[in-house]
Amino acid sequence: MKGNNLGELEELVLLMVASLSEEAYAVAVREELEKSASRVVNISAVHSSLYRLEDKGFLTSEFGGATSKRGGKKKRLFKVTSAGYALLKEAKETKEQIWSNIPQLSFSTI
Amino acid sequence: MEPLRKPPNQPPALGTFLLRKIYSEELFEEIHGDLLELYEERLETKGRWSASAHFIKDAVLSARNYDLMRTQHYKTQNNSGAMIRNYIKITLRTISKNKVYTALNVLGLALGMAACIFIMQYVAFEKSYDRFNANFENLYRIQYNFYREGELQFECAAAVPRVGPFMKEKMPEVVDFARAYPLSMVVSYNNINFREDRIHIADPAFLKIFTFPLIKGDVETCLTEPNTVVISETAAKKYFGNEDPIGKMIRADGQYSMAVTAVAKDVPNNSHIKFDFLISYQTLNNQTDNQSETAWGWYDFNSYVLLRDGTDPTAFNKKFAEILYEERHEEEEKYNYRQEFPLQPITDIHLYSNLLQESEPDEAGDGEAVFFLTIIAAFILVIAWINYINLSTARSVERAKEVGVRKVMGAFKAQLIGQFITESFVMNLLAFTVGLAIVTLGINQFNALTDSSLGLSFLLSASFWLVAALVVFIGSFLSGLYPAFVLSSYQPSTVLKGKMTGKKGGILLRKALVIFQFASSVCLIAGTLIVYQQLSYVRNLDLGFDMTETLVVKGPGVFTADSLYGSTMQTFRNELLQNPEITAIASGTNVPGDEIFWANGIKRAEEPNEASKTIYIAGVDYDYFPAYDIKLVAGRNYDRTFGTDTGSLILNEAGAKYLGFQSAEEAINQKLSWGRGDKTIIGIVENYNQMSAKTKVTPLLFPLVTGRSNFFTIKLDKNGVSDLTKLFNKVEASYSTHFPGNPFDYFFLDDFFNRQYNPEKKFSRVFTLFAGFAIVIACLGLFGLSSFNALQKTKEIGIRKAIGADVGHIVMLLSKEFVYLVLIANIIAWPATWFIMNNWLDNFAYRIAITPLVFIVAGLLVLVIAVLTVGYKTMATAKSDPVKALRYE
Repeated sequence: MKGNNLGELEELVLLMVASLSEEAYAVAVREELEKSASRVVNISAVHSSLYRLEDKGFLTSEFGGATSKRGGKKKRLFKVTSAGYALLKEAKETKEQIWSNIPQLSFSTI
Repeated sequence: MEPLRKPPNQPPALGTFLLRKIYSEELFEEIHGDLLELYEERLETKGRWSASAHFIKDAVLSARNYDLMRTQHYKTQNNSGAMIRNYIKITLRTISKNKVYTALNVLGLALGMAACIFIMQYVAFEKSYDRFNANFENLYRIQYNFYREGELQFECAAAVPRVGPFMKEKMPEVVDFARAYPLSMVVSYNNINFREDRIHIADPAFLKIFTFPLIKGDVETCLTEPNTVVISETAAKKYFGNEDPIGKMIRADGQYSMAVTAVAKDVPNNSHIKFDFLISYQTLNNQTDNQSETAWGWYDFNSYVLLRDGTDPTAFNKKFAEILYEERHEEEEKYNYRQEFPLQPITDIHLYSNLLQESEPDEAGDGEAVFFLTIIAAFILVIAWINYINLSTARSVERAKEVGVRKVMGAFKAQLIGQFITESFVMNLLAFTVGLAIVTLGINQFNALTDSSLGLSFLLSASFWLVAALVVFIGSFLSGLYPAFVLSSYQPSTVLKGKMTGKKGGILLRKALVIFQFASSVCLIAGTLIVYQQLSYVRNLDLGFDMTETLVVKGPGVFTADSLYGSTMQTFRNELLQNPEITAIASGTNVPGDEIFWANGIKRAEEPNEASKTIYIAGVDYDYFPAYDIKLVAGRNYDRTFGTDTGSLILNEAGAKYLGFQSAEEAINQKLSWGRGDKTIIGIVENYNQMSAKTKVTPLLFPLVTGRSNFFTIKLDKNGVSDLTKLFNKVEASYSTHFPGNPFDYFFLDDFFNRQYNPEKKFSRVFTLFAGFAIVIACLGLFGLSSFNALQKTKEIGIRKAIGADVGHIVMLLSKEFVYLVLIANIIAWPATWFIMNNWLDNFAYRIAITPLVFIVAGLLVLVIAVLTVGYKTMATAKSDPVKALRYE
């Protein structure tokens, strides 16, 4: 139904995973969201987005090594798939396209 | 090193628990890890509380991922969570789509459940009697059975004083015993005087074998000394206010001074024996020359024994009977009588014991009634569930398409059954909630109606919720099962083609259930009518004496000089009789309705001592019989003008027969030995009912008592008194002048007498209430069914009307079926009711015969209710425009 359209948060999360490259797991993504996008979200919302993106095929995942932190629990590391990159790129281009259509004038009147 | 120490700063277990519930096995670990990491981070930056709070918040918010996470990832295809959500969604849609049916269904079920909760609470209270005692399983009362010439004369709740100690001496199984001798006295402290009815003279062990905790004082010593008394909290407040009662002296009947040694907590309502004052037993021993320790014949002592754990009472009774025989048989054989002292578990006393001299006879419960009520509760619940089954199966036609589509989409039969049981569960849960609300709002009305004191504390008990959960679960299963099977068995091909008619089997079952409902309603209505008839019969029964317009004042407990009593009484009498509205004054040791405890041996003078028989005795004065309009069948009444009447006696007819006289006339002028010396029978009065119509007339002896008496009977003008308050004030004023230091306690005899029917009255009210419940529920069901029926026949009705049928004809057509059902229900209900109620009526010594009229009235009532219910809906359908009906579909 939703096709390849992403929700706003989903798109942000996808971007964050892309930017984190190596250590992209839920807690890191949440932190990054806060740091670079000033978005404070609950961890459960991040989980929901990550697993949904994976379902849609924009992310893949594998287990990272266990650490002494986090009670010794495994962490799931996410990676952006090529479909994911394509989608991000497309989204960016669409936006730029639209941006370029906005007449400069309109800014000065604000 | 402290290897066993719990690692510090664990996140709250609740959060982990929630996560485990929310996520599947596969996901739990990694997500738990994420949350733990955040927790640790926050622990350092924000502290323990904040970290814990956030942890729980994260876990709770994770609920949003419930279906996503659990169902879609990595392996399993378990979608039951989603399906249950779907079932609930569909249920809610059905509920909101058919608001009327839902309301009928839920209301019916809720009423049923509310009735059930009420009854179960009531029953639980009745059954809780004496179970607060820590030792209740090993506590027994010694019952006293007396045989003369091998024939049982009476069974009494109070035993003789010797038997308790004797049992303890001879039977190693007895841990301890206690006796309690009931009394009514005027208690005074300073100028506070009250007549107290809840006084017992009790052994020191009384407070130990029963669980009556003390607030002040020492349980070991408080009843050991003579002239000491333990009082209840209420009594302490009444007499001493905020003073410390310990060590204070109170007076009983103006002559006995006693020191308060302890204050006991008030006796709980569910105790069969209740006290405000416990006087030490030694006090009585001093008064009676130790008779109250050694007597084998004086039976006024409620005696209790505590047995060792695991003692078998039957074996105990047998063993004790043998020991008793050893000790007593010579004496018993000489006088040709036999005594028996079987043990009675104290937990049986309230509901199942109805002996002479019970401790709280007006409170006596009725085990049979409690059993009936339990059955009624079950009936009501079953009726409510039947409604649910009926309405759901009737509506199954509407749901058929849905079932068809589900089946085509691949639903298994088991899944469909699951769906409809879920639906039934939601309905039951909803009904239970509404039912609970009804109970909470209605508990006060229920208490007022049934004269009970149930609280809402049961809502806090785990057992209540356990039973409730069980009932809701079993109920949803039972009531959901049949509709579920009917619905799930539809063939999708026929259903979807639109050819759907109700199944024959379903209709038959529905009919059977309706018959059952109405048969129960008829039973309950007819039963209630019979209970009412019987109660009004016994209340209006000619009991052989006149209790109208009779004011009874308790006689003075305190009177300083007995020698002056006669003249004071005379003045008091004359003073009152000056008032034209007072027609007679009499005094006596009892009034009708007051259980007689005074009994002695009596025999005809010419007979040997061994022939002595026990007879109950009520002392009367010269005016007693005329005042109560009790006629003499032979001889004469006591007469002031005869100086010799102290040597005379009067018996009732039953008494004359009991002593072996052929007729009343024959008894006149015969001599009787009673007390010291022989006395002459001067009169025989007709039989009258000293106690309620539940019991037969007993033999009674009426000696002349001119001294102090327990009751003054004041007869008021038959035509009514102009100003009752004024009259009261007058009587009270003269009473207080002549008998100072005595409280003015009075009652009207008819109220007092009729209180004996309180248990029956209470029972009949409860019965009526729940009969009402049952009928309302049955009607709700019938309303639902008939309106559904009408809906289904819309087309038929349209055609009939188009052809020319009138409204009356159509209403007849639609109602006919239900009328048949109600008639069949009547035929089933009548014999059942007759059988049950006949049994109940056998409890009364005087009873009505069951007339067919009762059944006809009950049957007609139910029929009318049913016709009105059905008619209301069918009328609307019948009146509707046939054009609309035919355009329908």
